[in-house]
Amino acid sequence: MTNGFKYGGYKGQLLRVNLTKKGVTKEPLREDWARDFVGGVGYSARLLYEEIPAKIDALGPQNTLFFMTGPVNGTMIPAASRSTACAKSPLTGSFFHSIFGGFWGPELKFAGYDGLIVEGKADKPVYLWIDDDRVEIRSAEHLWGKNPFKAQEIIRQEIGDENIHIATIGEAGEKGIPYAIILLDIRAAGRGGMGAVMGSKNLKAIAVRGTGTVSVPNMLRVYNTTVRLNELVATNPAVKGLSDYGTPRNVLSMNAAGILPTRNWQTEVFKGAEGISGETMKEQVVKAHRACFACSINCTKYSVVPGGKYKSIINGPDYETIYGFGSICEVDDIKALCKVDEVCDEYGIDLIQASMSVAWAMECYQKGIFTKADTGGLDLTWGNADAMIHLTEMIGKQQGLGALLAKGTREAAKIIGKGSERFVISNKGVDWPGHTCRPFPGAAVGYATGPRGGSHHDIRPTPEKAGLVDRKVLEGKGGMAAEVNHWLMLADSAVVCHLGEPIWGPMKISDNLVEALNAVTGWELDYAQARKIAERQWNMIRCFAAREGFTRNEDTLPIRFMEEPVPEGPMKGALISKETLEGLKDQYYEYRGWDKKTGNPSKAKLAELGLEFAAKDVC
Amino acid sequence: MATVKVKGFSVIRDVLGASLVEVEVGPPETVKGTLDALLRTYGEPLRKVLVDPATGEMTPFLLVLNGEAISSTLDTDRPVKTGDEITLIFPIGGG
Repeated sequence: MTNGFKYGGYKGQLLRVNLTKKGVTKEPLREDWARDFVGGVGYSARLLYEEIPAKIDALGPQNTLFFMTGPVNGTMIPAASRSTACAKSPLTGSFFHSIFGGFWGPELKFAGYDGLIVEGKADKPVYLWIDDDRVEIRSAEHLWGKNPFKAQEIIRQEIGDENIHIATIGEAGEKGIPYAIILLDIRAAGRGGMGAVMGSKNLKAIAVRGTGTVSVPNMLRVYNTTVRLNELVATNPAVKGLSDYGTPRNVLSMNAAGILPTRNWQTEVFKGAEGISGETMKEQVVKAHRACFACSINCTKYSVVPGGKYKSIINGPDYETIYGFGSICEVDDIKALCKVDEVCDEYGIDLIQASMSVAWAMECYQKGIFTKADTGGLDLTWGNADAMIHLTEMIGKQQGLGALLAKGTREAAKIIGKGSERFVISNKGVDWPGHTCRPFPGAAVGYATGPRGGSHHDIRPTPEKAGLVDRKVLEGKGGMAAEVNHWLMLADSAVVCHLGEPIWGPMKISDNLVEALNAVTGWELDYAQARKIAERQWNMIRCFAAREGFTRNEDTLPIRFMEEPVPEGPMKGALISKETLEGLKDQYYEYRGWDKKTGNPSKAKLAELGLEFAAKDVC
Repeated sequence: MATVKVKGFSVIRDVLGASLVEVEVGPPETVKGTLDALLRTYGEPLRKVLVDPATGEMTPFLLVLNGEAISSTLDTDRPVKTGDEITLIFPIGGG
């Protein structure tokens, strides 16, 4: 294999850049860690557990930002475009993995590296230029303050190559907004504030050009596996519609089912859903489709609003924009959503977190906690699209009320008080995505215990939503959530996209995922071995959190989900009470072999998984 | 025999040709009978949207029957009658 590495799919090499010392080194990928943790989030969790000291400032130079690919990236396996950006998060205070698609990850492998470790802090703004073997730390003083797309344009001109792939941050990352994103060409590492970590290092961008390849042990096996998986992608009903409508294909379905979160989750039925549906979007703004590397799903939409006050050009909007700025803020104009999506990208902020911040402010306004004196004169009535866009810009600029909202809703509510804590729809500081759990107890315990809090990529509501299991039954849901955790974790280590959910999951690690890994690496994992890897990865991340002081107390849900039933629609009355949640957590910890009192792994479990070294920090 | 209204969205709506159609159901006059009638009426194009060729089975999904959320797999025996409305909630993944 490449560089003499034992397993296929890997380049066998990591690039390490120390910005304090201005040092660039190359080091071998550890074979034992590759076998035990695979790549992506799994390998990152192991490496960062070793390299990030406990209790450090996430925006200080001691934090490490680690971009990592997996063995299937750069091969023809479908949906294998994705890679991870991991660090201690300024939002959660623990390990975080932000995942992104596009081309940047495969390009890094083609340049010769499985991953890039960025440590220290540059004394002035810089960017990295990785051109196969040659790596330069270049001045970015002329790029500082530029929006991500402008910075990319300038770098492409400087390098003289339109086809390079570039990761950039915006003003939000430069200023340390804890939910700043990294934009990799047009795709985002959107959650957990990885852009703020990058900005704290004075690192504006990372440009990559790779001309190499990825080697596999048996090309014919990879080809045949790819053909079979592509056939599944093309024919599986649960993947259909993503090409035609993108991720917003489900807006009207979800609304009809009473699970389209609305008015900051006060209800889950939105009267204006038709105006922000995938169907309306296709009719009014979508001009073309875009796909990530090696992906036949083709979910990204290229949308244009050619004129008027919402004039914009974006890649999207994805469902999360439509949820966050649409139904959650009760805005029913797809063009306004295109505009606010563009604003988020230009400042480089996570649009889920930004939209939930705006919604939190709107609810404060509705309930009389904020008046126009607090909002700078903005009328934050639900559905006011112009005010929503303006307030989002204020977050990007950290101006007025925007400076408060830039801290995230959890911190903002701590400052404001007056009962506004009830409007925070968050866990571990991460605001909620557009997938409910009030009717779905398995999803609820998955969200509560997930290392990233409000992330629909640590758990999926699909098994209960689709009726694979009875949503009303509590028994067995702790174990169900753990097995869903496992397929998501292994997918994020391989690394493949979760939009292939019916193929890689959806209830547990599927044979398809194991076969994709085996074909590329030459391993012959069976299900039990693959599951054990995923369990090890999940426990490693839990150890990181435990070392930071997390216990079962942090495994919770928003107050609203525990105390306010869905008021209308097909899911009327749905609620996960505090008592129900605690029972589900007990189930979950017990299934995992964790201490129910602390919610953390036991010594026996750590020994079983080969993680004994963490026992001193955790048990 | 019951006449049941059926609603669908995105790719299902594309196949049905409208967001609301009516189908003649039964016997049996049940949820399963409704789904079978739909597949008979709309044939291969709908089969491609709802049936997983890897298993030959209909992919599980949520339904809304007269405002109540039910399952396409767990509630197949639920009775339907003329005037009832069933909404097909497209198999949900991703996002």
